[in-house]
Amino acid sequence: MAAGRKSLWRQLTWPWSPDSEREASEAVVRNLWLHWFPAKVSIRSLSWGYSFWLGTVAASLFVILTVTGVMLMFFYVPSVERAYGSVKDLQYAVSFGRILRNQHRWAAEGMVALAFIHMARVFFTAAYRGSRALNWLVGVVLLLGTLMLSFTGYLLPWDQLAYWAITVGTNIASQAPVLGPTIHYLLLGGHFVGQQTLLRFYVLHVFFLPALVWILFAYHMWRVRKDGGLAGLEPVRAMRRAEPKEMPRTKSYSLFGLTPGTSVAVMSSMGLEERDQVMSSPNLTRRMILVFLIVFNVTLVLALLFNAPLEGPANPSVTPNPAKAPWYFVWLQELVASTTIHIGSLTISGGLLGGIVVPGVLLAALVAWPFLDRSPEAAQGVWFARSRARQNLVFALITLAIIVLIVVGLYLRGPYWRLYWPWTARPVMPRVL
Amino acid sequence: MEERQQDSLERQDFAWLVIMSLLFFALVAAALWSEYATAWRPFQTRFKRDLAQAGRLEDARKFHSGIKQIWNPELGLVDRCVTCHLSYEWGGILPASLPQPLTPHPALPFMQHHPFERFGCTTCHAGQGWATTARGAHLGGAGWEEPMLSKRLAASCGVGEDELIQMRCNFCHRRDSSTQGMDDINLAKKLFKKKKCIICHTVEGQGGHTAPDLTFEGDKNPELFDFSHVSGPKTAFNWHVQHLIDAGKVSPGTAMPDFHFPPEQARALALLILSWRRIDYPPQYIPAPVAPPAAQPVSSSQPSPFH
Repeated sequence: MAAGRKSLWRQLTWPWSPDSEREASEAVVRNLWLHWFPAKVSIRSLSWGYSFWLGTVAASLFVILTVTGVMLMFFYVPSVERAYGSVKDLQYAVSFGRILRNQHRWAAEGMVALAFIHMARVFFTAAYRGSRALNWLVGVVLLLGTLMLSFTGYLLPWDQLAYWAITVGTNIASQAPVLGPTIHYLLLGGHFVGQQTLLRFYVLHVFFLPALVWILFAYHMWRVRKDGGLAGLEPVRAMRRAEPKEMPRTKSYSLFGLTPGTSVAVMSSMGLEERDQVMSSPNLTRRMILVFLIVFNVTLVLALLFNAPLEGPANPSVTPNPAKAPWYFVWLQELVASTTIHIGSLTISGGLLGGIVVPGVLLAALVAWPFLDRSPEAAQGVWFARSRARQNLVFALITLAIIVLIVVGLYLRGPYWRLYWPWTARPVMPRVL
Repeated sequence: MEERQQDSLERQDFAWLVIMSLLFFALVAAALWSEYATAWRPFQTRFKRDLAQAGRLEDARKFHSGIKQIWNPELGLVDRCVTCHLSYEWGGILPASLPQPLTPHPALPFMQHHPFERFGCTTCHAGQGWATTARGAHLGGAGWEEPMLSKRLAASCGVGEDELIQMRCNFCHRRDSSTQGMDDINLAKKLFKKKKCIICHTVEGQGGHTAPDLTFEGDKNPELFDFSHVSGPKTAFNWHVQHLIDAGKVSPGTAMPDFHFPPEQARALALLILSWRRIDYPPQYIPAPVAPPAAQPVSSSQPSPFH
């Protein structure tokens, strides 16, 4: 391709409207951003119905979070004296500050949810088998990274909600046997939430955790390719392998003349045929832009309509009643509260069970699952394969239990952590005036 | 085959791309509009017009629309109230009859010692200075502990707005025995002395220890009061009022005598008690202590400690 003769505009835009198949492949190879992708992509992996593009949605949210986050960093001051005021300034005085903060907040909550839903998709399609087990583990670390990013960001506004949610969250962590108090001290940089905690969470939130998630995300994407694309291709591959191959009849020359027979048939390394694939540029890129646009629009609508929560300034001497952990940890708080037993004056804390044992066992199960799954190969890349009905049911029930605990903790718990139906009046908490 | 699939993919996506792109532009336009169409903008237009009508054409011309604030880092004060309440210091030039939020601040006798640029608005009126919306500024939103001391809030306490604000005057004037213009707090201070409350209660290190220390009683978490014998609103203020009228009824078994204060005295005392808070104003904001009465000559009948 003679790029030299093309106009500058054409040089910049040719990957989007390639003139030939060769240009379409070059568009991927010769572009820094696109060479993550294969030159050709299978039609199955472009389908909405198999993957729901959940990973791309989560990645789009992370892009939005990075951009809005960097912009917020120009205004936010990580000091206990000024953090709250700088967030209030964003809310009320900075141009587009309210929308920026709202979009960051709703994208963050969305990313926690989407990372989990993406994981559920991978589980229900058994997409973690064989060499894909490693990428599942990377995904588990990415989920934890996302949770930690959200948790560290939760403290930064330094309002009552933030202060007490982090107090509750880190108190749950301190219930760990032997290491609990050390972890608590390490997280907070002291014995209670203060300036050290704010600075620690800030540095983790704006540098270390995003760097970790970005690097692992890049690796996650690269591994998808190295593992032969989405697991949803495995049924297509199996089908292609089972099809009788029409070997091209050729003439071969031997020492004694022409010999009839077939030549060596070459299968592509993808195990897919031409008809299963289309060029990545522009079919994959177009759809990625579409997914990003949809995600961006949804977060912007939310940002325009709903303000991110912001309560009164952090006040260590007044605990809100009730004080709740962030929603993605409130199921643990609910578990801790409901497994705490009072017998007379004796209290058996549920902290160990709800704070350490249950999340620990669930995390260990997530890590070990790809190596324990004994379902047949044919279940790979198939939604709700019958051979995996039992393990899918277990996963669904655990997810349901977590959702129920979150709903109870978030919506049904009122003052003094008592249960109230949404339609019953909750006691009015006393005020000063 | 492949071409047909590519075409069908393109067809599928194209409509959605167009819809989503149009939505994107619409949302960006909505974001721009929400930045521009703020609640305060019409008030600023009206203020400019009022200035011109009052003959201050030069000032009206110089006025630029935008967020206004009184900023005083000494107090950590950012009061954007004046974004809407623009005529606050235009009393005498703009008529006092202008409807809110453009009513000029009345020229009260103590205002010359409490200029706006040093004290802002929230120092006296409370509320949320950061906010640029009426709701946010007056009520503060969820979990906001210092709502504006409005007429409505004062009425719910059975006092006037200016009486409620005296509570905040006393943050700095705590150690005055009497302050001009703070009639209710002055009355409460006199009653506090007359009834000898510090025989049982400690205030700032002085007094008895049989009753709770009241030094920072205004900071007490209102959830810590027992409201089971209190009628009316569940507020620390109401608790104190009823407790001062009939302590035995509000806290059965208490050692505090039933003073049976008339309601207005009980309300004044409750405001005094609630004004006792930890404040971190810089020392230049605390009024100088009144000189103690001149020392009495030592009478010869008293034995000197040096003999």
